[in-house]
Amino acid sequence: MLSKRNNSSNLLGLASAIALMIVAGGCKKSFLDSQPQGQLPATQLYVNAAGAAQGINAIYALDRDFNHTAFPALAIESMGGDEVQKGSTPGDSSPMGLYHTFTQTGDETGFDDPFWSGQYQSISLANQAIDSIPKINMDASLKARYIAEAKFLRAYSYFRLARAYGDVPLRLHYPKSAADYNIPRTPRAQVYAQVEQDLTDAASVLPQSYSGADIGRATKGAALSLHAKVAMYEGKWADVLTYTNTVIASGQYSLFPDFEKSFREENENNPEEIFEIQCPNDASNPAAATSQYSQVQGVAPAAGWGFNIPTKALVAAFEPGDPRMAGTILFAGGTSAEGDAIPTGQVDSMYNYKSYVPFSEPILNGNPGAGQDVRVIRYSDVLLMNAEAANQAGNTTLALASLEKVRARARAGNNAILPPVTTTDKTALQTAIWHERQVELAMESDRFFDVVRQGRAGTVFADRHFKVGKNELQPIPTSEIVKSGGVLTQNPGY
Amino acid sequence: MKKIFTISGLVLLCSLFFTYAYAQNVTVKGKVTDATTGETLVGVSVILKGTETGTQTDVNGTFTLAAPSNGTLVLSYLGYTSQEVPVNGQTTINVLLKSQSNALNEVVVVGYGTQKKVDVTGSVATVKGSDLASQPDANPVSALQGKVAGVQIINSGTPGSSPQITLRGLGTIFGSSSPLFVVDGVWYHDIAFLNSNDIESMSVLKDASSEAIYGLEAANGVIIITTKKGKGAAHIRYDAYAGFSTPTNVPVMANATQYATMVNEVNAASNAATFANPSSFGTGTDWLHLILHSAFTQNHNIGVSGSTDKTSYNFSANYFQQDGNVAYNKYDRITTHLYQDVQIAKFLKVGYTAILSGDHSKDIPGSVMYHAYVAAPTVPVRYADGTYGDPTLTPQVGNAVNNPQVELDYFNQTTQNYNFNGNAFAEIKFTDHLSARTSFGGTFAHQEVQAYDPVYAATGGQFNTISTLSKNTVDDRNWIWENTLTYDNTFDKDHHVTILAGQSAQRYRHYEQDVTAQNVPGFSSGDLYLGLGDNPTVTTPNASLETRESYFGRVNYAYKDKYLLNATVRRDASSVYSDQYKWGTFPSVGAGWVISNEDFMKDQHIFDNLKLRGSWGEAGNGSITPNLATAVNTQFYSNFGGGLQLGSGLLGLVPPVIYWEKSVGTDVGLEAGFLKGRLTLEADYYIKETQNAVFPVPILESLGASSGELTANQANIKNTGWEFTAGWKDHIGSDFTYAINANFSVNDNKVTSVTSGPIPLYGGGNGGTGGTLTTRTIVGQPIGEFYGYKVVGIFQTPEQVAAQTTQPNAQPGDVIYGNNGQKTVLGNPNPKYLYGVNINLKYKQFDFAADISGVGKVSLYNANESIRFGEENWTEAFYNARWHGAGTSNTTPSAFLSDAVNSQPNSFYVQDGSYLRIRNVQLGYTLPKSIASSIKMSSVRLYVSGQNLATFTKYKGFNPEILSTGTNGINQGIDTGVVPIYAIFNFGVNVTF
Repeated sequence: MLSKRNNSSNLLGLASAIALMIVAGGCKKSFLDSQPQGQLPATQLYVNAAGAAQGINAIYALDRDFNHTAFPALAIESMGGDEVQKGSTPGDSSPMGLYHTFTQTGDETGFDDPFWSGQYQSISLANQAIDSIPKINMDASLKARYIAEAKFLRAYSYFRLARAYGDVPLRLHYPKSAADYNIPRTPRAQVYAQVEQDLTDAASVLPQSYSGADIGRATKGAALSLHAKVAMYEGKWADVLTYTNTVIASGQYSLFPDFEKSFREENENNPEEIFEIQCPNDASNPAAATSQYSQVQGVAPAAGWGFNIPTKALVAAFEPGDPRMAGTILFAGGTSAEGDAIPTGQVDSMYNYKSYVPFSEPILNGNPGAGQDVRVIRYSDVLLMNAEAANQAGNTTLALASLEKVRARARAGNNAILPPVTTTDKTALQTAIWHERQVELAMESDRFFDVVRQGRAGTVFADRHFKVGKNELQPIPTSEIVKSGGVLTQNPGY
Repeated sequence: MKKIFTISGLVLLCSLFFTYAYAQNVTVKGKVTDATTGETLVGVSVILKGTETGTQTDVNGTFTLAAPSNGTLVLSYLGYTSQEVPVNGQTTINVLLKSQSNALNEVVVVGYGTQKKVDVTGSVATVKGSDLASQPDANPVSALQGKVAGVQIINSGTPGSSPQITLRGLGTIFGSSSPLFVVDGVWYHDIAFLNSNDIESMSVLKDASSEAIYGLEAANGVIIITTKKGKGAAHIRYDAYAGFSTPTNVPVMANATQYATMVNEVNAASNAATFANPSSFGTGTDWLHLILHSAFTQNHNIGVSGSTDKTSYNFSANYFQQDGNVAYNKYDRITTHLYQDVQIAKFLKVGYTAILSGDHSKDIPGSVMYHAYVAAPTVPVRYADGTYGDPTLTPQVGNAVNNPQVELDYFNQTTQNYNFNGNAFAEIKFTDHLSARTSFGGTFAHQEVQAYDPVYAATGGQFNTISTLSKNTVDDRNWIWENTLTYDNTFDKDHHVTILAGQSAQRYRHYEQDVTAQNVPGFSSGDLYLGLGDNPTVTTPNASLETRESYFGRVNYAYKDKYLLNATVRRDASSVYSDQYKWGTFPSVGAGWVISNEDFMKDQHIFDNLKLRGSWGEAGNGSITPNLATAVNTQFYSNFGGGLQLGSGLLGLVPPVIYWEKSVGTDVGLEAGFLKGRLTLEADYYIKETQNAVFPVPILESLGASSGELTANQANIKNTGWEFTAGWKDHIGSDFTYAINANFSVNDNKVTSVTSGPIPLYGGGNGGTGGTLTTRTIVGQPIGEFYGYKVVGIFQTPEQVAAQTTQPNAQPGDVIYGNNGQKTVLGNPNPKYLYGVNINLKYKQFDFAADISGVGKVSLYNANESIRFGEENWTEAFYNARWHGAGTSNTTPSAFLSDAVNSQPNSFYVQDGSYLRIRNVQLGYTLPKSIASSIKMSSVRLYVSGQNLATFTKYKGFNPEILSTGTNGINQGIDTGVVPIYAIFNFGVNVTF
């Protein structure tokens, strides 16, 4: 029980003091506002032209990260081919080897999920740009070009997803509410239709070429060439012919005379390169040297980790004397054209020459070869698509001419090798074109998809127990299916 | 007569007042001693009742005071019961003061004040600073291990790094799980700057009702630290020790012959390079023992303290040095602690605490111990020609490139920390019952990490072509201003009421800046300036700003010290939460019944004290990442036309709102004292539930969030448990006293709900686990349990492999997955049992102390055995147990641990992490007074001590104490750190002049 003694004066004093403190504290509302520090709030990006430029640049930059160009990309897009094997030592990153033996399950942490998520991150950045840039008050033609670039890059990512996984969730806007979160897979044909729409939109706006500080951005030719490639996987040969003809007729592109040298850093963005992922190795900002495309395939130990290495089957695929073999494969114990002695490795001692960077290149950010651009589409690919489409259309003359352009460059004036293909038999010519693709585009993550689209994976990859009806597609990452609570379904056979 | 001595030259304003009393009728002389131990008491206040006249006992416990022969002396001393002694004309008065150490009269520090222990309704444990300072730990938190029930301390072996501390189980996943530290009223998350010698006491608040007064930061517990004040006549203390630390429990690795044999076993099957003749290598290089060695450690503390009736002061300086057990590693620290208060007027006291510290460490590469663990014993440190041994030139299973000696030789990094912490305060006494206190304090901290990477070419894989110099700085500028009013009165003798009201404002600013330049010449340390290089780059990796505003109040009511009530409420706002959710309210109530004070207990002689108490309360967890609901862009650099261009975009999803994570706790406790204070028992049962825990729910990768997670208030986590503490102290004759304290706690951790339902959150994936995810957090299970394949055997033959389909990639020597090839729960990294035993013995001049601490029923993921990112070595035990052909083992896989089957998370790597450790042992000898005074000292004690003398564990790694990687609760107990346990042996002195 409280005392009845009068302590009211004390209590009053206490009460008034508390009141004072509350009043004193109450008048500083702004005191409780704090913004994120050192980071730009998302709402403050797409407000002007400079922000739009940054938003677009971000997509290009992300497309060179580890998920897009290194282990995950090589596991999903290269390992299935007969031209490569895992590389490094047997115990090094063994899950990557499962993609070569067609025993992957979708549970290969660090390989399947990052490829998937990397592509969707690019798509998200592109969607942000496509959603937001139209609202910005800025130069109309630049605005249109930015949107076209974003659509090209979005198409590139969806193309890579649909080619690898088949049906995939199709997201065309940055998610706004929880209802947008968990969506089912869209059939591959619809995804490709969207890719084609984006590429059509992009090609109608993008310039033929850039100069100065814009070199390396997506061009009209890039959009058309990628469109041709999408159409090729869809078997739309008439479209392939149309788009490749347009690219050829543009006069923008030509084959670089020296096959090997066309892949060296000093010749990046040469007239043969239709679209390259631009990878900096810039001393002014070492932290930007993020691409590990060259490092993961590089010569061990000094220049890389020696993964995704050529096989004897690839060696055997080259015609006698084809100089492209020496421009595609670095043999241990030999010396590169640039003068580097290639040390003897641990397993089969061959390396991908196309991703090679001379050992003298300064190493920034711990990534040897960070400056090596990734060749996405070369003019020779366009020519070979053109040849294959022309052959399909019965235009043997065009087919032979386009094929010969590729072989002639490879020949480099030495008429003793690589005789021109002369067959007019449709099947024989197709076989010749397919072979030309195998050696011309070797080690460029094209082989597996080529063989699959040609419908002969069951035989070509038989030694590795390729299962027809299953291994044409990669498994959807198991973790993604779990997270979807069953909304996403797994591909057949997994 | 009044003399004032002014000592100038100290950094801050400080003046000391020494007061002498006026001469009166009788001069009384006397000595004050402890009634139980007979120890002389220094600095006891002796006041003439009804006046302000008085003195204090000197270093010999004696006093001289002029007093009227009919007067009364009042003797008071902190921690002792005050006593009144009538002079009655005596000229010699010797007084025995009774220690209040029995539970009834003990005073404990609680939030914003002190309370008699008997009046406390929550669970509060107190540790004396002297119990912490007696241990050779740089961080006072380390010394708390095993001392308080329910407190888990995980010590890191690296000099200068802070231990991890968790109270009553892990209650948060996303933020820091560390308790709030309140040092003299200023809030901290880490007290690495504090020297144990400067601590008077530590109060560990464990239940929600004690914590709730700290509202927004109290969810993971509160530790209130009071630093030393002055007491009694001026005296100087010097405490020091020196000794050495030596690594223990270092695993024995496979020697070169064994290593080469295993490499051949793996590589022969894959056509990879093999060793021609394994036995030709002999034992080879023992990298771990080459890197590790015994190291010197020393600590010196000098302090002066004292008090008069006008002022109290305590100034000290400390030097601590600890060399690392890895070559080149060194850490040293200087701290100074300045405290002073001055009674300016009868109603006004002002004072300050200033703690300045500076430390410096010569660092080692974080990976060097791991690389020493995996380095091939077939590779020499150097070849005969003096060049470094090159791992890339020898057959191996992985892709190792590191010669650890090269890493050490070319690593050049130092870390420096400068801290200013402290506060200034004023206390105003309006009346005998009403007082106010204002305190302004904070932190000014600066860290600088300088690293120089020279140009060198040591081995095929270890070289650098461009030199870089980096200077990375971390700055903190925090302040806290708190104002409280306290009303304390007793009505009608029996009703004791204390009312507290307060207000607080806080601001926390943190920013980091990394600057790097290339081609800085490195001829001498004088060259290491960024301006001498080119291509400077600046990045700001991390920055944050948080402001807070709070109001709080508490009412304590005690009736006859029998019935106790305690209610608090705190209202906090923090700038990091969404606008409409900035404010949180945290109430609590507590009640106690001191049964032993009831009339019906009067005649019993069993209990000295028996109290039942219960409490309920809510507290917040304020340590989340700021502004989680604000989407921020990631910065990129694109490359066009040969030049870099800035890019920016959103790589994440943010929740619509973020608000308070709340911990709701209930505690029921029983305290009992028996046999005249000799036996004390305390038991607590608690339930602590974190509601709306900030929890990262895995989201579809197709949403384009790079984290793959959406972090929001979306889970509840519950910890329930028991805590028991028992103490026994007694003496045998007058020469031998002893005390034993033991504590034991049981905790169960469980995620009770997640908004997204049973979608698991996987974690624990890093280089250490070969990238595979080893933990799972799912509703209904503990946080971060180990999840993977249960090993039921080893494939012996190709036929056995071919006969099954669940493991298509298997080969002989691989583990066989049980549970039909499905992953299952493999263990729990949240320890179930924690315990500690502390023993103190004193015989004549000798004293002995021992601390034992332990953890029971806990699992660890020994990722050191599984680390397989391209590097391999194995332990000798593994070599002996491994499968190497049909019939050789059905429990240990083949040496091909990195293949697609063995590298998956599996139960082979999950091991029992229980341990019992003899943490500290100390034997001291105090010189007899006569000898001490003959060398002009009032007290001299010499001692020898040992830390980590023995660890009993079944765990096969270096050390069963595993720091989580990051602050993330889903990565607990994964052993990728390979810092050994080091035993420390010291010789020390404690001297008082």
